[in-house]
Amino acid sequence: MNSVPATNTDAGWIVSLLQAGDSFYPTGSYAHSFGLEGLVQAGAVHDRETLREFIILSALPALRHVELPLAAHTYRALAGPDWTRVGELCVLSSAVKTASEARQASHNIGRQRAELAASLHGHPLAVAYLERATAGGWPFSAAISAALEGRVLGAPLAAVMAGVYYAAIGGQLAAAIKILRIGQNGCQALLTETLGHAPEIIAAAEQVMFDEIGWFNPWLDIAAARHETADGRLFIS
Amino acid sequence: MADFHGQLSLRAEARDGRTVLAAQAFRAPFHVSKPYWDADTGTLLVQVVNPTAGILSGDKLESDIAVGGGGALLATTPSASRVFKMRDGSAECAQRFSVEKGGWLEVMPEPLVPHRGCRYRQTTRIEVELGGGLFFADMLMPGRVAHDEAWEWDSLCLEVDVRQAGELVLRERFHPSGEELKAMAALMGSGPGACFGNAVLITEETDASWRDAVHALQGDGLWVGLSRLRQGGWSLKFVATDGVRLRKGLKETRRLLSARFPHLACDARKL
Repeated sequence: MNSVPATNTDAGWIVSLLQAGDSFYPTGSYAHSFGLEGLVQAGAVHDRETLREFIILSALPALRHVELPLAAHTYRALAGPDWTRVGELCVLSSAVKTASEARQASHNIGRQRAELAASLHGHPLAVAYLERATAGGWPFSAAISAALEGRVLGAPLAAVMAGVYYAAIGGQLAAAIKILRIGQNGCQALLTETLGHAPEIIAAAEQVMFDEIGWFNPWLDIAAARHETADGRLFIS
Repeated sequence: MADFHGQLSLRAEARDGRTVLAAQAFRAPFHVSKPYWDADTGTLLVQVVNPTAGILSGDKLESDIAVGGGGALLATTPSASRVFKMRDGSAECAQRFSVEKGGWLEVMPEPLVPHRGCRYRQTTRIEVELGGGLFFADMLMPGRVAHDEAWEWDSLCLEVDVRQAGELVLRERFHPSGEELKAMAALMGSGPGACFGNAVLITEETDASWRDAVHALQGDGLWVGLSRLRQGGWSLKFVATDGVRLRKGLKETRRLLSARFPHLACDARKL
């Protein structure tokens, strides 16, 4: 963090981005643990310390190498807009998720976000995106739709990336409260620590080239794959 | 020591009811064994041999293996691929596999063993036409475990792109530092010698009755998970506490899958 004066702090996009990031916003993300439940079922994550390690060792690298670069590249591609590139990014966003549940979770949340961007704001970019996605059979993605929201709202890239970062970490910690013996204060302490890494991770993610997008945690992918057929589960993913 | 720019090109095709190598070209350090026709499974078995000690700084290896309609090929290696310590520079391997409609290709090399201080990048591009089938499996060891050397590479990047009918169905990029992977293995309970297996099955078969049997292999130090790709097949991932368990898990998976995909019954160690 630094004390450099912020630029482009127009209240319009700030309040709209807060709206899009609120748990009250109907994206359906509350129904997903994004693989965490599978790792809890496998016994790998079982308390506050192992949850912290999972966030640091797995959730943050996934943001740095996959979700944030996807959002950054899409944000830039939508400036034109370069629809060919946007379509490639949509396909890539789906192809980098080998676990079906993770892919479907991102697809469902991304579709909901894109449709809300079009219906709530009536913005021609969001409408055009939905038309092209439907015509081209593009998969939806939470990161892609976050970039679209940013363009629709007039938010700068840094704010979009911060929103993606917060949604990913906040979503997993919100799920953790329900499946681990960890309280709200414990989760907030972990969230605070994790948010402290945001500036460096966002800065690094902005530099990731298109061909360098990708990262996976084999244990998480295995746990997510097994979660698909688990006898019992609280979350969809 | 001389840098190698090795190249390998193979094309398998169906002829007179069996598969033959219709074209082959290679130069050091690649060498190709005499092919073996496994009549029981209708599969041509070829070993790709690197007669040097392993992969050294400056090496650039390029391979292209293609299977035409009706052909069935199993490409394997006789021993692990060791990537040696590099004082400077790095090594690269670019491999491409393609399968035409009606063809089958299995790629099942012995494991990659990155030594302390190596820098290595491997890119794998797979293209399968509709109606073609493929099983690709890669194994990664943490290092020379018997020498107490694990997770000590300088840099390691393994990339796999899979396309079916031109559509990207899988993009994987595995480039953790040794420290990151070591910490993750400790967290997940896989221990200091964790080994990884990454497999892809491309098929248009919708019957997945074998899935539960493969999932049931999990236990006793082996993690196994398989999930459908966005189209055209499956991703199969394995983590084991040691190489023996990993090999056993993959071997058993091939056996289970062979009921549905008979070419997988071909013994890769037959030569």
